[in-house]
Amino acid sequence: MKTKKMQYALAVGASLCGLLLVLAVKQAAAHKEPHDAATLKAFEEAFMEQVVIGDNLFHGDAATEKKMGVTLSKTGMACAMCHPYASDTHPHEFPKFQEQMSEFATLRDMINWCIEKPNEGVKIDPNSAAMKALEAYIYWSNRGSVLDTGRH
Amino acid sequence: MEALQMSKGRLQHDTGVESRNDEKPSGMSTDITRRTFLHKSLLAGAAVAGGSALNFFDTLTTMGVAYGAESFSFAWVSDTHLYPKSVNTRFVEKATRAFKEVAAMGQKLDFMIFGGDLAQLGDPVEIALGAELLKEVKIKKYFIPGEHDWYLDMGATWNKHFGASPWKFDHKGVRFIGLDTVGNCPDYWSARKMSAKERMAHMSVLDGSVAGAWSGLGKKQLGWLQSALSDWDKSKPVIVFTHTPLYEYYPPWNFWVRDWREAQEILKPFKNVTNVHGHVHQPLYHEAGNMRFIGQLATSWPWPYAPEGVPPETKAMVRGDPGDPFDAVGWGNVSFANNRVDQKYMMWRKEVFATADVDSGTGDNRNQKLNPRIADRMWPY
Repeated sequence: MKTKKMQYALAVGASLCGLLLVLAVKQAAAHKEPHDAATLKAFEEAFMEQVVIGDNLFHGDAATEKKMGVTLSKTGMACAMCHPYASDTHPHEFPKFQEQMSEFATLRDMINWCIEKPNEGVKIDPNSAAMKALEAYIYWSNRGSVLDTGRH
Repeated sequence: MEALQMSKGRLQHDTGVESRNDEKPSGMSTDITRRTFLHKSLLAGAAVAGGSALNFFDTLTTMGVAYGAESFSFAWVSDTHLYPKSVNTRFVEKATRAFKEVAAMGQKLDFMIFGGDLAQLGDPVEIALGAELLKEVKIKKYFIPGEHDWYLDMGATWNKHFGASPWKFDHKGVRFIGLDTVGNCPDYWSARKMSAKERMAHMSVLDGSVAGAWSGLGKKQLGWLQSALSDWDKSKPVIVFTHTPLYEYYPPWNFWVRDWREAQEILKPFKNVTNVHGHVHQPLYHEAGNMRFIGQLATSWPWPYAPEGVPPETKAMVRGDPGDPFDAVGWGNVSFANNRVDQKYMMWRKEVFATADVDSGTGDNRNQKLNPRIADRMWPY
């Protein structure tokens, strides 16, 4: 049993190393070579990994919050309780003048406003991994929406 | 005062017979008993919408619907989603406000129906807290459960406090029926060896997929419904209370009852049927044949309108202000007056319905396309 677990861990480790290597090589030669299917799959996996983390954060998963070192809510409310499927988040409308803040705002500003106000949580660094993951999930959930920047 | 005329009344009458109708399906229990009187009723032709029978608030919005028997009013409160006070007092404050307002109306209301989701996670502490808050309301109270009340202990605490569903009673010429739309979910937990808390956690996520199509009546309850209406004159009004709507609005969020077709088939022969439901946390109105469906507000928070399936008869509520916990929530006052039913959304704000798309809960979603989530499809079982 232990041997199997070790083999599994080694396989996962090798895959991750491979993925990182592919991405590192691609970084060095970005857009200088045609993209093959494996490369595109690696890009997508890197994105979807963030989407899944964001999905868990958005739905109030305590373990993910702890892992990321964030407190998105102190009321028991999770983002998804008002925004199932990330509806009414309207990422396609940002940046825009945001009435609640009475200022020009980005989606990240709005995410932090929701964390601080309705959720009574602790505002997160706009460039943090948690913010990027939340942003990834919200955009991914709203894919196909028509860009309508600035609309109230 | 804003008004929507939703349907038309019908001419009918019955005899003044005293009856007692407190039945339950075999194998199911109920604590509900009520002596009722059937009175002569004369239902007018076209119902005229508008105006408030009670003038509780100047800001009420009225939706006039069909028929009526004798004039009376009742309150609908649901979806309080209480957490223990140690976690969140916000929902407690809003539920308290609704119950105080219902209590303040005194004898203007004949009874109150609590339409489910008293608790957030089915915790006995949450349900006991709700039971305590409900003591504020002294008029007769009826209860149907929501999924949040049920899946920690499969309704044991709920039934202990409030009795089992389904049930029925007759009141002033109307047959009222309360159904259980939450307790008949196919087993998604045993094979996955979920704990009770894990089962409840999945059930509590509106856009989760693990619990699947959990809302349903089941064959046994459908049989009970058929039987519960077998002695009722088909021209007389029937009001059915459910947590989830008795039609298909948006299945991915269980904004439906999966066997709604069978339920509607049973209700179809009756000329005046109204289904009043919770769960959606938003004003909704739908018609299908002789049936009409009214969605109620939550006291806790508003849900957005679903990305598709909003009935065209619905006039959408305004966009709520997420910075104001008391915005876009409230309770319902259903009154029978002048042979018609008025649904009033007792929303704690000035305007209930939007007059422009930019302020509308549906119009605002122009250009929005939504997709189901992914993380719950990676559940580690």
